[in-house]
Amino acid sequence: MRKTLAFAFVAGVLSLAAEPVWAHHAFAAEFDSSKPIRLKGTVTKMEWINPHAWIHIDVEGEDGKVSPWMIEAAAPNSLLRRGFTKNSLLIGTEIVVEGYQAKDEAKRANGSIITFTDGRKLFIGSSAGDPGAAPRKDK
Amino acid sequence: MRHRLAVSISPMVVLAAIFALAAESAIAQPAKAAPGARNWRPSKTPWGDPDLQGTWTSDDCIGTPLNRPANLGEKRYYTEQELAQRESQLAKQQQNDLQELVGPDQRVGTGPPSHWVERARRPCRQTSLVVDPPNGRTPDLLPEAQTRRIPEGANNNNPKADSWEDFSYYIRCISRGVTGSIFPVIYGNGQQIMQAPGYVTILQEMVHEARVIPVDGRPHASPSVRSYMGDPRGHWESNTLVVETTNFLSNRTGIGLNGGGTPTSDALKLIERYTRTSSSELQYEVTIDDPKTFTRPFKVAFPLTQEPGYQNFEYACHEGNYAMSNSLSGARAQEKAAAEAAKKK
Repeated sequence: MRKTLAFAFVAGVLSLAAEPVWAHHAFAAEFDSSKPIRLKGTVTKMEWINPHAWIHIDVEGEDGKVSPWMIEAAAPNSLLRRGFTKNSLLIGTEIVVEGYQAKDEAKRANGSIITFTDGRKLFIGSSAGDPGAAPRKDK
Repeated sequence: MRHRLAVSISPMVVLAAIFALAAESAIAQPAKAAPGARNWRPSKTPWGDPDLQGTWTSDDCIGTPLNRPANLGEKRYYTEQELAQRESQLAKQQQNDLQELVGPDQRVGTGPPSHWVERARRPCRQTSLVVDPPNGRTPDLLPEAQTRRIPEGANNNNPKADSWEDFSYYIRCISRGVTGSIFPVIYGNGQQIMQAPGYVTILQEMVHEARVIPVDGRPHASPSVRSYMGDPRGHWESNTLVVETTNFLSNRTGIGLNGGGTPTSDALKLIERYTRTSSSELQYEVTIDDPKTFTRPFKVAFPLTQEPGYQNFEYACHEGNYAMSNSLSGARAQEKAAAEAAKKK
């Protein structure tokens, strides 16, 4: 059974490798998987722009110096479909970001996991705002 | 500083693994069509054409591979048992999405995070988007097509990009081509169909394409007129809208998801068929014939659905395409690091 499961898992990985899930661009072209970051910062702006939204935060370093960072988020349309609106993240909110820094070492990162400081996820929802998530009955 | 594992294990991998396991244990049986689908007839527009209007999405087949994994052979559909497993996984995924706290198994990765993607509402019955040839795989490329450069796409983690011109037309926010604009991807799958006497128009959310399709019998434009999205002409066969599109520019987009893969030629001809099979479902099918690129024509098909509350939103792709300059500066940073490493040797 263990062997079968291992085979199934490998087959799954292989089939995913054949058709990976891509966003508008290659993440790894922008961000460096050898530069993991964990940031705690205060939101200064959220850019609701295509093809991806960007969250701007001020992060205080160990030396007390504050630096602006940009965190890449989903496409605005996808955020909206998942129930995330302009009121979901207000300026001045503290958030925690885990991800990877830009390859060119600029203060940009992908937001792989983004939470409020109490641990709640920033992005909650499925196809929120869309009652079609329920099973549909044809007439 | 605490870090989770750098390697992200996507829920899609787990799903694929479950499918592969199920494929071993279950006898392959084609999934049944939706009850009543065969006998359903669409209403007509006031001028007498079948009414296809509404906003449709291919979300239910998000994650279905274009090419069928070779180990599935000619198995076009999942079994009912496999579909039930997938349905249960979708329900679990929805519950996970609604959890307030980050799950203990969530990993930090460089791939698109789970909060980026839109979700299927029900399991896709197909094992691949390609349905003909029977092995569900894109036919081989002709030798002349194998030499065409594939632009740096979203799958290239280390793009060799000296210029924005080296990136795909999708990354450049120009176009995903006709097939790339309707094949299901992780988000932005909306297709709004509107009809008027003599015309069908399809508004595609990503990358804000508008296909205006004459259905009045007029001939194609002159072969000298070429475009990314080609020159479409439609007609009705019973309740099916048939659209033939020709006059494509060569060497722009491919037939892969998001218009990726080997770019097609100026000989590309697409025959699309749109058939409404219920009040909320439409079957889409496209035959891809490019005698300068593929060894034979092939066919892709999948359902589109209408969902309550679902609508297209504007996707002004170039508005803030920071990823373009970020990827170029990333490539320069990599070159610099490689040059410095070489000096030290």
